[in-house]
Amino acid sequence: MECRVLSIQSHVVRGYVGNKSATFPLQVLGFEVDSINSVQFSNHTGYAHWKGQVLTAEELNVLYEGIKLNNVNHYDYILTGYSRDISFLETVVDIIKELKKANPSLVYVCDPVMGDQGAMYVPENLLPVYKNKVVPLADILTPNQFEAELLTGRKINTEEDAIEVMDLLHKMGPETVVLTSTDLPSKQGDQFLVALGSQKIKKPDGTNTDQKICMDIPKVDAVFVGTGDLFAAMMLAWTHHHPKDLKTACEKTVSVMHHVIKRTITYANEMAGPGKRPTPAQLELRMVQSKADIENPAIVVEAKVLQKSSQ
Amino acid sequence: MECRVLSIQSHVVRGYVGNKSASFPLQLLGFEVDSINSVQFSNHTGYSHWKGQVLTADELHVLYEGIKLNNVHHYDYVLTGYTRDTSFLEMVVDIVQELKRANPNLVYVCDPVLGDHGSMYVPQNLYPVYKNKVVPVADIITPNQFEAELLTGKNISTEKDAVEVMDLLHAMGPDTVVITSSDLPSRLGDRFLVSLGSQRHVRPDGSRTTQRVRLEVPKVDAVFVGTGDLFAAMLLAWTHHYPTDLKTACEKTFSVMHHVIQRTISYAHELAGPGRRPSPPQLELRMVQSKADIEDPAIVTEATVIS
Repeated sequence: MECRVLSIQSHVVRGYVGNKSATFPLQVLGFEVDSINSVQFSNHTGYAHWKGQVLTAEELNVLYEGIKLNNVNHYDYILTGYSRDISFLETVVDIIKELKKANPSLVYVCDPVMGDQGAMYVPENLLPVYKNKVVPLADILTPNQFEAELLTGRKINTEEDAIEVMDLLHKMGPETVVLTSTDLPSKQGDQFLVALGSQKIKKPDGTNTDQKICMDIPKVDAVFVGTGDLFAAMMLAWTHHHPKDLKTACEKTVSVMHHVIKRTITYANEMAGPGKRPTPAQLELRMVQSKADIENPAIVVEAKVLQKSSQ
Repeated sequence: MECRVLSIQSHVVRGYVGNKSASFPLQLLGFEVDSINSVQFSNHTGYSHWKGQVLTADELHVLYEGIKLNNVHHYDYVLTGYTRDTSFLEMVVDIVQELKRANPNLVYVCDPVLGDHGSMYVPQNLYPVYKNKVVPVADIITPNQFEAELLTGKNISTEKDAVEVMDLLHAMGPDTVVITSSDLPSRLGDRFLVSLGSQRHVRPDGSRTTQRVRLEVPKVDAVFVGTGDLFAAMLLAWTHHYPTDLKTACEKTFSVMHHVIQRTISYAHELAGPGRRPSPPQLELRMVQSKADIEDPAIVTEATVIS
């Protein structure tokens, strides 16, 4: 498999977020990963302390120039995640446009990180950049419920709402949309959250169809960091292998997440000791230890194909 | 296996040198790798063009402070390679000394990158820093012949010279020394180069012993970049699994190198086409494709134990 990804995300010295979370799993699955580190921090910002340096939009441009001067600006995928800076995000947009001109088949996988549980945790002025410039270029989008609502201006209270929101997101650009988590009630009870996905497919006869799926995912009682970055990276990998089968791509992605998270929470609880809540350092994803699960995830979650209400 | 490495090396967006060359193989072998990127460049400096930014000694210190403030500055290994800046290198030494205080069992694997084929390719003022400050705190060093001669002030013309040079290097600090390549004539002919290794042990009864090995390594007609970084990382891994068996550690390390290099040169020639010399981008190590060989290298080079 000769597949090259450009991933523009954070680097942390210790732990697994951003490029640290995305790179190893993609490499394990055989992808060539070129990585531009948007920041270098000692660790993620959920620890008691963090220190480091950020890359400016200008410095990002300089790195891209180097790649271009050598005529190696040819990628099959781009992957982006958490960003805090408008000019940086806008430079990313320019780079993607140029890379798409160099390779029109390029697939841009975008995690539109803006917030969660009803609140934004990036500067507010990133929303119009995502809405007007980034999402229109994206091919695969992995918003959570809050981000999907923000981007479309519509609230999600029912499964029908979720479907309408995903259709609105398709109209904005991406052919594949996955709502990575929602507050929708799960049929399996309150220990589960509901995720949904939608993919527009062009049939051989030229007509459009779409596949919509939903999954019930076991909740875990802990705050993980870097899981969204791992999710987007694995969505990239599994949609690459199952480009017209969102059901399978999502089952594999969500299953990998499950294995990594379970291994992590078990180890974290062991490290913390009985009755104590694990620390951020103890909750770092057990990435290296999950190699076998990443390479070949046993399917533990089944995605349900939703029947179309009309066609 | 719960083993944490701090690797302080370059990062390139594209390709496999420095941390890009060291991290993935170590992670495949189950090591936790914390990495401080000393630079971020688009690609290595052997391409026609390269662009990027360097980390200052101060910025390095700031990153280390973050790790320390969170009380997670506990490492089993430190790994360093190519550096161009004296103050950066001196900050690395300070960090290694502090980490050794935090964990007296820490093993510092140091590739003392100074030059090759008779000339230095880093600023000359790094030489005294390596000699007087870095090598004394190193536990494992992987100099080539030129670097070994530079550090000891002794030339290597025979195997006996090489053994003396390695003993001199032991006296400077490291218990494990591998001269990664030399001009010594190989028993297998001129398509081979000679590598040597030496490891000091203290026996249970307190007496000292030294195991010395020699390997005949097939030459490849190409310039690779990042192979030294991969070598040091894999020597870290295999000496971890064979801490008192340098013969096996070297056989595994040199064998991994062989597999990766063979795969790389085949692919590079395929890309370049018949009769054409491959370009630097085409010669990037086939790291991701060599996963199986990294995890479990078939032994293709046997080390001879020498006295």
